Amino acid sequence: MGKANRPYPLSWRIMDAAEAVFAAVWPSRGGRMAPYIMLAPALLLVGLLVIGMIQIGDTSLRVLDRTTFLMSEDWTLANYQKAVSDAFFFKVAWRSLLGAAIVTVVTLMFAFPYAYVMVRTNNAALRKFLLIALFLPFFIGQVVRAYGWLIILGNQGIVNDMLGLVGVEPIRLLFNYPAVLFGLVQYMLPFGVLMLAPALTAIPEEIEAAATSLGANWWRSFIHVILPMAKPGLIGAGLVVMTLSLTDFAMPAILGGGTQDFIANAIYDQFFRTSDQGMGAALALLLVAIGSLLVGVVFTVFGAGTLAMGRSKL
Amino acid sequence: MIQPRSKSVVLWCLVAIAVVALSAPTIVVLGASFTSGNIIAFPPEGFSLKWYAKIFESDELRQAFVRSLWVATVCTVVSLPVGTLAGIALSKFQIRFERSIQIYLLLPFTIPLIGSGIGLMLAFGKAGIIGQLWPVGIAAAVINLPFMIWAVTASAASLDPDLEFAAANCGAGPVQTFFSVTLPAVTPGMITGSLLMFILALNEFLVSLLLVDARIVTLPVQIYNSIRSIITPDLAAVSVVFIASAALAITVLDRLVGLDIFLKSK
Amino acid sequence: MKKTTKLGMRRRSFLQGTAAFGAATAISGLSVSSLWADAPEKPKEIIIRAWGGSWVDSLKKGVSDPFTEMTGISVRHDLTEDNEIQPKVWAAVAQNRVPPIHINWDTTTNASKSALRGVTEDLSGLSNLANTTELAKPVGVEGYPIVNTYGYVYVLAYRPEAFPDGPPKSWKELLDPKFKGRVAFYNDGIGFHFPAQVAGGGSLDGIPDAMGPAWEFIEKFKAQKPLLGEDPDFTTWFQNGEIDAACTISTNARAAKQNGVNIEWVVPEEGAKFDTDGLWIPKGLPENELYWAKEYINFALTKEAQQVWLDGLGLPGVVPGLTPPADLINDASYPTKESDFANLIRVSAQIQVENESEWFSKFKAIMQS
Repeated sequence: MGKANRPYPLSWRIMDAAEAVFAAVWPSRGGRMAPYIMLAPALLLVGLLVIGMIQIGDTSLRVLDRTTFLMSEDWTLANYQKAVSDAFFFKVAWRSLLGAAIVTVVTLMFAFPYAYVMVRTNNAALRKFLLIALFLPFFIGQVVRAYGWLIILGNQGIVNDMLGLVGVEPIRLLFNYPAVLFGLVQYMLPFGVLMLAPALTAIPEEIEAAATSLGANWWRSFIHVILPMAKPGLIGAGLVVMTLSLTDFAMPAILGGGTQDFIANAIYDQFFRTSDQGMGAALALLLVAIGSLLVGVVFTVFGAGTLAMGRSKL
Repeated sequence: MIQPRSKSVVLWCLVAIAVVALSAPTIVVLGASFTSGNIIAFPPEGFSLKWYAKIFESDELRQAFVRSLWVATVCTVVSLPVGTLAGIALSKFQIRFERSIQIYLLLPFTIPLIGSGIGLMLAFGKAGIIGQLWPVGIAAAVINLPFMIWAVTASAASLDPDLEFAAANCGAGPVQTFFSVTLPAVTPGMITGSLLMFILALNEFLVSLLLVDARIVTLPVQIYNSIRSIITPDLAAVSVVFIASAALAITVLDRLVGLDIFLKSK
Repeated sequence: MKKTTKLGMRRRSFLQGTAAFGAATAISGLSVSSLWADAPEKPKEIIIRAWGGSWVDSLKKGVSDPFTEMTGISVRHDLTEDNEIQPKVWAAVAQNRVPPIHINWDTTTNASKSALRGVTEDLSGLSNLANTTELAKPVGVEGYPIVNTYGYVYVLAYRPEAFPDGPPKSWKELLDPKFKGRVAFYNDGIGFHFPAQVAGGGSLDGIPDAMGPAWEFIEKFKAQKPLLGEDPDFTTWFQNGEIDAACTISTNARAAKQNGVNIEWVVPEEGAKFDTDGLWIPKGLPENELYWAKEYINFALTKEAQQVWLDGLGLPGVVPGLTPPADLINDASYPTKESDFANLIRVSAQIQVENESEWFSKFKAIMQS
């Protein structure tokens, strides 16, 4: 049995060299350090955000001098005092929190059946269709989608045209609170579905059959069986939608017409309309604090749900 | 399992509304771009490709698009190795402070986008690197890193540690094991992640708004600035460019990995 | 003998060398300079921040395109809002970077803020300044950190069909419930604060310390659910029939009118705000780009450029001898004589600079609460 004498492949030589280098560089006890070294670049990259936060903190403690338009040299808490006492900021914060809550509930209401149908259907084409209908808007970006709704809901848009057919006067559908909420819901829908789908996949179909065979109609089995089992998905989806809506900028700006400012818009205004960076930074830090508090509370009480990375089990 | 009538009706109603809400802006923008009139309207009056001709002639738009592509490339190139290594580390190993590290790596999600954007604007400003394009790519990578890590960990969950022992058993050194066993197993996650990062960076709006200026404006910011000016159909034509890239990305994603990957439980 | 020969040869070759060098520089010098002797190198493009819609179109027609023809330098217009470019320019100067724009077409008030902060280049040396009226000089700041280029009026623009009894005589007429959702203001209420002070029963002397009447009057408008926007929005809203009246610069209403929509404007009995816009250059530009930016502004002050530019805007300029467009002779929005200014409200740049931000915030707070 004679094998042809094949030359040692080049790729093997390179691999041997790589192994040799690795063995020389890697300390023999270094095996335990491996994961930390692998995590280091990511930790550094996210560290940029931490540096950013420190910068915001520093800026937030300075006040704007309106005769020279320069930031003050010393630190002061004046910005924070103004932020918590000003009626306008309170109004904006309340509007954003309420809006985020409403958007979360409505989004989950639509995302759940969407994810359910997508996961449970046996029709591969339907599943693909639903996935594409989900991903296409997700990949298109906020600005373009808001722009599309401006066209549809404008005074001369399709909706008002159709209402005109029935004899209704054109209604102002845009530049109000419901328009912004609607824009947010349709923007958050893909996020909600993506967070719910893995959790729903984990629920075996037989469980629903079992519930039915035990006498539950579909509504009861939904409330008592599926919903509790989908909890990690609901938490992940709810959290993502809530924080994203609370801090959204484009939808309130484009669909709100300047009268429906959310917190992000107020912060932007401080930086770019009144040039008071200190105030804007203080508001930004307060927003980060509120957001982190929300997330932290949910995480500790419920766990990270489908938002978890790594080895946490569902 | 045969579903009861009422359940199907309710489900399908809700799903139909959702699909309409999701797709309507896309279709409208697509349609309005073909109008032969001079104002934005849907349904379009007449059919004409003149607005596409206009945007191809526009140097500004072309340059803005090229800059967006560059930002997306920088973002993907940076986040791919960083996110992959982090994802593998989180899935395979038992790490001390695991909970804290997870929360730390979720910072780009927990810190609101406006906060991250302004923080990076101030930090980059202090470092004096605002006014160039590559910091925008880095910013996009930082903001969206959790997506990359999430994608990699999702596919790394299927990585069986025994496979690596088997490879070592057959004589493979650690480097070879990594490249022949570990990496291929997370490749679906890497592909999904990179496509996600690329498209997200291409569309990145708020952070770009804060970090770019007239010399380095990217396409989403250019569109936003133009929307706040007179709205003409060439904006719709430009938006179709985004729709086309999105469609392309989805097709590639589906061919290489299959969209079903997002349905899998972790 | 050898030494002298060497020396001689060396001297000769030295002379030849310098002659060749001199000739080369002379030739290259000739090819670089064109109309301007000693002109610095031309940049690839100049970036000018401008307001969109008919504003940037008029600038292109009157100043930018002729400038490009004359010098070969292309001009790019950045449509970022004036308020939004301000912190970016300030940050660039503070961090010693090249600013994002060469020239800022800005309101005089905003420009004064930048001047106070020290980020503007001095424009006193422009040759065409000698040919301008006193409107061109900014008040309250030293020298010429900004050159004013025209004045304008925040008129009450309206659709005649919505006012069958004739043009509105007072701002108070806009409080009529039939105009709910059909009136519009600027995002920050600019141009409306001062007439509101009068309409609310206060006096102009109360600006800025006693503006209670102004805020009370504006409060009444909350029930009207007004639309808030920027310059191009007014034109779009008028064109799409979304509003019946607005407090806006006459240019925006005129643009809608020129697109075929029937719009008129008037200065009501309480008065209307008059203000100026101008051009300024941020610090930090390279020498040659600064030179050509100054040339651009100098060109914008010539009679020819002003005539075409301001014909498009329908506004009075700062150069004597301009002819108003045919549709604006004796129009309230085109004040030329003393008497035209009788019902217009002018507040000093200093007061505006110090208080504008507060007025903006208050207006927004009222409208959003």
